[in-house]
Order: sequence, then structure tokens, then C-alpha cells
Amino acid sequence: MARDNASLLPGTLDLIVLQLLSAEPTNGYDLALRIQAISHDVLNVNAGSLYPALYRLEEKGLIKAAWAQTDAGRKAKVYSVTAAGKRSLVDQRDTWERFAGALAAILKTT
Amino acid sequence: MSAILRRLRVWFRALARRDVVDREMRDEIARHIERSTERLIARGLTRDEALAEAAREFGNVGRIYEQSRDARGVTAVENFLQDIRYAARGLHRTPAFTIGVVLTLALGVAANATVFGVVDRLLFRPPPYLAAPDRSHQLYFARTVNGAEAIGEAYQYQRFVDLAETSTSMDLLVAFSTIRGEDTMDAEVAMANASLWRFFDATPVAGRFFTPAEDRWENGARVAVLSYDYWRSQFGGASSVIGQTITIATQKYTVIGIAPRGFRGLAGDMPAMFLPIAVAAGDLIGPGWMAERTSYASSWFGLWGRRAPGVSVEAATAELTRAFAASYRRQLAAEPQYTPPIETVKPHMLLASVLADRGPHASGESRVTAWLLAVSLIVLVIACANVGNLLLTRALDRRREIAVRLALGVSRGRLVRGILAESALLATLGATLGLIVAQLAGSFLVRMLMPVTGTSGAMTDPRTLIFSGGITAFIVLVSSAAPLAQLGRTDVIASLKSGGRGLSPRASRVRATLGALQVSLSVILVVGAGLFVHSLERVAAIPLGYDAGNLLVVDPKLRGAALDSASEAALRQSLLDRARANPAVASVTLASSAPFSGARITLPFVAGLDSASTVRLGEFILQLASPSYFATMGTRVIRGRGFTDADRNGAPRVVVVSDAVARALWPNQDAIGQCLRLAKPTADCRTVVGVAENIRQLRIDSDRGLEIYVPAAQGGAGFTRLVVRTRHDASSVAESLRRDLAGLMPAGAYIAVTPLSTRIANVTRAWRLGAVMFSAFGALAAIVAAVGLYGVVSYGVNQRGHEIGIRMALGARALDIVRLVVGEALTVTTFGVAIGCSIAWLVAPRIGPLLFGISSHDAGSYAGACIALLIATLVAALVPTARAVRFDAAVALRAD
Repeated sequence: MARDNASLLPGTLDLIVLQLLSAEPTNGYDLALRIQAISHDVLNVNAGSLYPALYRLEEKGLIKAAWAQTDAGRKAKVYSVTAAGKRSLVDQRDTWERFAGALAAILKTT
Repeated sequence: MSAILRRLRVWFRALARRDVVDREMRDEIARHIERSTERLIARGLTRDEALAEAAREFGNVGRIYEQSRDARGVTAVENFLQDIRYAARGLHRTPAFTIGVVLTLALGVAANATVFGVVDRLLFRPPPYLAAPDRSHQLYFARTVNGAEAIGEAYQYQRFVDLAETSTSMDLLVAFSTIRGEDTMDAEVAMANASLWRFFDATPVAGRFFTPAEDRWENGARVAVLSYDYWRSQFGGASSVIGQTITIATQKYTVIGIAPRGFRGLAGDMPAMFLPIAVAAGDLIGPGWMAERTSYASSWFGLWGRRAPGVSVEAATAELTRAFAASYRRQLAAEPQYTPPIETVKPHMLLASVLADRGPHASGESRVTAWLLAVSLIVLVIACANVGNLLLTRALDRRREIAVRLALGVSRGRLVRGILAESALLATLGATLGLIVAQLAGSFLVRMLMPVTGTSGAMTDPRTLIFSGGITAFIVLVSSAAPLAQLGRTDVIASLKSGGRGLSPRASRVRATLGALQVSLSVILVVGAGLFVHSLERVAAIPLGYDAGNLLVVDPKLRGAALDSASEAALRQSLLDRARANPAVASVTLASSAPFSGARITLPFVAGLDSASTVRLGEFILQLASPSYFATMGTRVIRGRGFTDADRNGAPRVVVVSDAVARALWPNQDAIGQCLRLAKPTADCRTVVGVAENIRQLRIDSDRGLEIYVPAAQGGAGFTRLVVRTRHDASSVAESLRRDLAGLMPAGAYIAVTPLSTRIANVTRAWRLGAVMFSAFGALAAIVAAVGLYGVVSYGVNQRGHEIGIRMALGARALDIVRLVVGEALTVTTFGVAIGCSIAWLVAPRIGPLLFGISSHDAGSYAGACIALLIATLVAALVPTARAVRFDAAVALRAD
């Protein structure tokens, strides 16, 4: 638990969720698996923080949810990014890249 | 905006579709765990192991529910509902407390809503439909007369014409007046120029309003716009009334429109109808006025105006003053013999509020009412302090419960919301009940005390509702302050250890302070009540110089009816005879004026006094009277004689003077037998045959009482009134007498019969209002404060049960216990009384001008207030003391 969340900087979960959902709408479970897979198990996002994050983003109007049939023929709640969410993603990504670039530059100086 | 909408939608969904949303969330999470389990089984775990591992992986489901719901904003709403439910359950468990608090608050809210309604009407609310309230004014003018500046509000028609022609700063000038006596209904009729309709933003319910072309001397139109109320009450709201004719005075007017509901123009009362002023004035005031309409002789209507956009009040005032000066010069040129020079008169204009009671000089009623608003707010603060005290007691009683909840991890924020929810619930219940009381009793109260009509009930008036809402919020904040402060200090460990009992010196101090606050505020109100009651007593004790009970003043209004002097004399005689024949009438007299309804001023000339020194003595009032005058009025002739039938025209001319006149004109001689000439130094000599006691004719509070009585038969024309003494209650005879006499009046004329007591009630209203309201509120405040003190003392006794038990076990006598308990209450009261008296002493001089014959530092009122509060304290301490004395030491100690 401690390792999982320690690797996640505050505020980054929203960015991750937006990024992944903008690539492909999906349900909560598959989203959790995908975060884990893409980050090569570095980011093990706990369901305990994923679902509140999803509801929070939904309430802010950045993502929206719809009940859809999955491949297995069962109903699941599928999340996708709204127009406002896309704008927010661009903003957040810029901010993050600037931040990461600056941090990298600082860490390279010895 | 869209963010707010979305938020509202989420909350709505959270509330209305809570179950659906919750079920969706549970489904989603269940699906997640299910798929984790499947994945783990695929990796070779058993189903049970997989289920356990999946649940572990997922984390605390309950917490996730909570967090998710927080994220959706559900929790806040749910918590709020839960707080309210919790508070409601708590209040339901303690009905006595709840009823006490709700009643206390209801009284406070009812008092405030009622008084606010009146103050708002008198001082703040513009007349309905006013188009541009911020640019609209009533126009007053000031001029210097006899070295003193006087403010006037009545204008001559020619002045209005002059101002309307020259003024550039005003968009609109509205001449507006009301006159009584539509047909024989004795209803009020409004007259105005056509600008009235642009001054207001009103559209007729039916028909149309009149136009400038219809409001002309020549070729104007006799048209009438009915008020909504009159239309409903007299014509049943039928639209067929448009085009019908109605008789006003002697003329027929065509109804052309109906004003919208509530429209009363610039009148204080709802008039029956609105007529074009140039047309109606001739019919309603009389043909004499038509002749002098272009002169500056008679002033009879008020003037309102609307500043042009962009013109400041100062600029408009200056410009109107110049226009007024120009008009005054025109007056000087036209009527030089009556017009004092402009340099001594120094006329200037004043732009004041549209509301007459604000005026350049606030009316007595409006000043008293403004004070009443302050007073009713004090009552509310007392009620809040009391409720705060009770809530604090509850908080203290629940210390253990609160400590347990804190220990269980309930946040202090949640407890704060709980306390606020409780006071909000109480305040809402109290305010609702208060509004119901104000609705039922308020209009009755207003009618009884105020000359304001058309006040809608508290619950149907949006402004009063908004005000009451503000008050409710105020109650919530003020009354929960003490328990919240207590909560902030709750020490969980100590409270749990002491078992939620034991002493809390700090809380008792808060309670004592609240008690002292209530006492001090009550003292202020009771002092005010004392001052006003004493004033009213002094006013009632003023020797009027006549017996005002059972007197009716009969005003024949000839209006349009043109009578020659012979038929006028015949009418007068027949009115006298008919009135005298009425079995309810004891005696009748002719009189040129009656108290508090104007008077004729005259100037006496006597040997040894030049006119300048006579003028300095004051205004002399000329009263024409028949032989029965003094007996009917109840005015005593203290020396010499009154009039007799022998004092007829042609007989030696006689006068009776008041005592004040006798002393003023002949300071060192007997007035009887002196010669007095009226109006002109060359007039006939009239011999003083009697001296009558002084009377109050023009003002009740200060009147020089300079009265000169002339026999009616020797005084020439100009009788306008009869005064009738009835055998029993005058007001019950008034209407039958009016109907009796109305039959004698010529067509178009009418007759008004008013009990003199009504006129006296009008001039004493401000004092009576102050006395009644301050007494009612003062008594209310003292009772609420006594209840509060009872709470303080009673709680103290409960808290100190141990101490008292031990003291009694150690041999304390009952008297010692009484001293202990009552002493505490008296300490609180003494503090409160001292503070209250000090504040009252400082504030009272400001109500000085509203008092009569009494200093605002009247020792009796202050002492009375202190004694009243001390008695209230003793009464409040009685029951708890009795309980304390009966304490069984063994029981008290065993309870430990």
C-alpha cells in the first residue's frame, strides 16, 4: 500500500485517468489494469483511490459515464472524456511536462 | 452559472435519486471485485482465496463508498438532513423546552414583523408603482415669517403653473391633493394633473387614464379614474362601469378607467377615484376658488417632482429655488399689498422624500415608530439571549453525550452543524408561528394605533417576509453563539471523568452574563415605558378648558352649492333646530371653530398697547359663539357672564375673553368693562363682559390660549360649524345625527360629523403609541428576562445540589440556603439593572422631544423599572429556592 501510493504524486491520478480515458473509453476495472500494465507495474493504483477519483472527475464534468454492454455481454459503466475534460487534459499535461522538465534539469545538475 | 447548475443537478440527483445512484455505485464496485476474483482464480487460487485476495486488493469498501459519496457531494446533503432529523428528534424528546423556545422566538418575530411593516410603510416603502423612486421627491418650500423659518408643503395653483413653466431641472411636476366627500359617501377623492400617470409606472386594469388635454380650465373633461378598491366595492369589479357617469358634488363625471390594484397615487389612504385637478377643483372646492385660481391667495395641494436624469439633488434644489423666486416676484407684482418683500421672506425650495412622514421634519408617529423598531429589536435580542441560555443548558446537560461523540471520532464541525441545525429548526418554527401571529394580530394592532391603511398582512408582504428571514438567520447565529463557545471548550477527558456533571464555572459565568444582558435590556424598555406612560398621563391631565367627552363637531360642507346669506342663515337655523330636536342631544351651539381643526386669527386693539406689542403677545383666536356655547363646550366663565339671547345684532357689542387674554392685555386691571376693538383700530368698541378659562385650541402640548369670543349674532357671517353635546356616548350618536342633518343640506353639499375625542386621539396618538407599545414590549421583555433568570437560578440549584446538600447536612438553616440562591439571582439582576439604567440614562435624552411634561431622566421611571425587575427576579427565584430548601442532603449525597 505504502509503496503504491508513494509513487503517485498528488494530483497525478486525475491526469493519468484523463490521459488513458481520452485514448480509449473504458470501465473502472480495465482502467485499473491498464494503468498497471502501461506503467509496468510501477503504478499500482488502488481501487480505493481510483473510484473516488472517477466520481470526482464525473462530478466536475471532465468525464462522463454510460452503461454499456461489454464484450462478455455484461453491463458495465464505461467512462469517457468530455470536451471540458480534453481541454483540462491539455492544460494539465503542459503543466506536468514543464514541471517534469524543470525537475529533470535540476536533477541533472550536480 | 453552468457550474452552479451542474452542482444543483448533482445535488438534486444525490437527493432525489439517492437510491439509484447508490445502487449503481455498488453494482460497479461489485463488478470490479468479481472480475478481480475471476482473474485470481485464473491464476490458480481457490474461489475463497481469490475472493479474500480481491477484497484485500480493493481496500476498505465502506471507506470507498464514503469517499465516493463525498466526491459526489451526497454526504453534505445527507449530513444536513441527518442533522435536521437528529435535531428534530432531540426537540421532540423535550417538548417543554421546545415549546418555550418557539413561543419566545415567535413573540420576538411577531413584534418585529408587525413594527417593521408599519415603519416600512411610513418611512421606507415608496408608494406602489412609483416609476423612478430615486429621482422622485415631494417638494417643500421654506420661507421666513416673523424672523423664523417655516416649511410649507401646500401650493397655490398659480405657483404650480409658474414652476412648471420655468423649471428645467424637473422631468415632471405633479400637483396632488385629496378632498373628502364624493357624493354623499364621504369617501376621499384625489385630484391631480395628468403628469401623475407618468410619475407612476401603472397601466389601467380597464379603460385609460386622463390626459393633459382633459385637465384644463376651459374645455376640460369631467372624467374619473376609479381606484381598484372602490371599483371592486362599489361596482363589483364590472368592466361595464367604463363610460358610466357618477355624480361628484353637483356634476356628472364619466368613468374612463380603473387604476391597478394597490395604486393610491400620492395619497396616504386609498382614494375612491382620481380626477383631473383643474376640472375637479372648481366643482369640489367651490365656485369662489375658480375666481381666484390665477391669484396666489389659496394654497391647497402638495407638489411632487421627478428630477431629470443626470440632475443632482443640489442642482435641482438650486434651480427650483430660482424658479420659486421668479414666481414670487410675479406674485409681488400682482398682489403687492399682501406680499411681504422677498428679502425678508427668503424663499427656497427643499427636495425631500416622496414619503410624507419622512418629510423635512419627521412626523411624531414616524419618529415613535422608528424607536419602536429599535425596541422590538431589543425584545428580539432578549429572546435570543434567553434561547441561547436554554440551548447552553442543553449543551451542558449533554456534555457527556457530546464528549462520547467526540471520543468516537465525530468531528467538531459536525457537532457545530448539529447545534446550528437545532437553532435553525427552532428559529424557523418560531418565525413561522411569529408570522402567523403577526398576520392575525398585526393588522389589528396597526389599525388600532396607526393612521396607516392598506397594510397587508405579514405573511403576504414580500418585504416583511424577507425581513423576517433575515431576523431568523440573526436568531440562529445569536442564539447558538453560547452553546458553540461551550462546545469549543469541551474537554473530552474531563467531561467523561466527571460524568458530565459537576461545576463548570465558566459556563455559569456565560449564563449569568446572558441573564444580566436580558435584565439590562429589559430595564431600558421598562424605563422607556415609564417615561411614555407618565407623558401620556400628563397629556391626559392637561386642562383642556372644555369637557371633550360626548362632544360632536358638525361640519356642513357647502361645496359647490351657492347660497345667498339669507338662505345660508336659514340653513344654519334649521340645522340647529334639527340637532336640538334629536333626543340624544343635550345642547347645541354654533362655533366658528372647534379644537384641533384650525381657527381664525384676529388682532385686538386696546388702549395703551400699539399693534406691534400686541402682535408680540401671540396669535389671538377669534371664536364666534352662540349663547349656549360655554355650556355646551363645558368651558367655565370665571368672571362676569357668558352670552345671552340679548346680545343680538344691534344690541351693545360685547366680547368674552380668555383668562390669558385678560392677563395679556390688561395686566394690572380688571378686564371686565374694558373696550376692545377687533382687526382694525377704528373698529367698533366691544365691551368685555366675561372672562373664560383658557382652552387648548390649536395644539394640545403648548397653547397660549388667547381666545376672544364674539356673539354669533354680532360677528357677521362665516359660521362653518355646530358643536353638539350628546346625552350618551358621542361616537354612537354621530352617524344617526349625520343622516338626520344630511337631509337638510342642498344638493351637492354634505355634512361631516366627528366626535371631538377622535380629534384629540389624533393629536395624542404619538404619546399613546409610545406608551402602549413600550409598555407591551417592556412587559414582554421583563417576563422573558424573568424566565431567563429562572433558568439561570434553577440550573445553578441543580448544579449545586451537592454543595447545598452538604451545607444542610452540616447544619445550614433554610434561611442560609435562601440567601445563597436568591443572592446569586440578585447579583445578576443588580448588574443588569445598573448597566441598563446607565444605558437608558445615556439614550433617553434622544426621546426627550417625544415626551411631554417629564424629564427623560425622571427618577420615578428609573426607580420603577429597577423595582419591577427586582420583583421579577424574586418571583423567578421563588420556585428554585423552594426546591433548594427542600433538598434532602442524603439523597443529594447518595446520588454520587
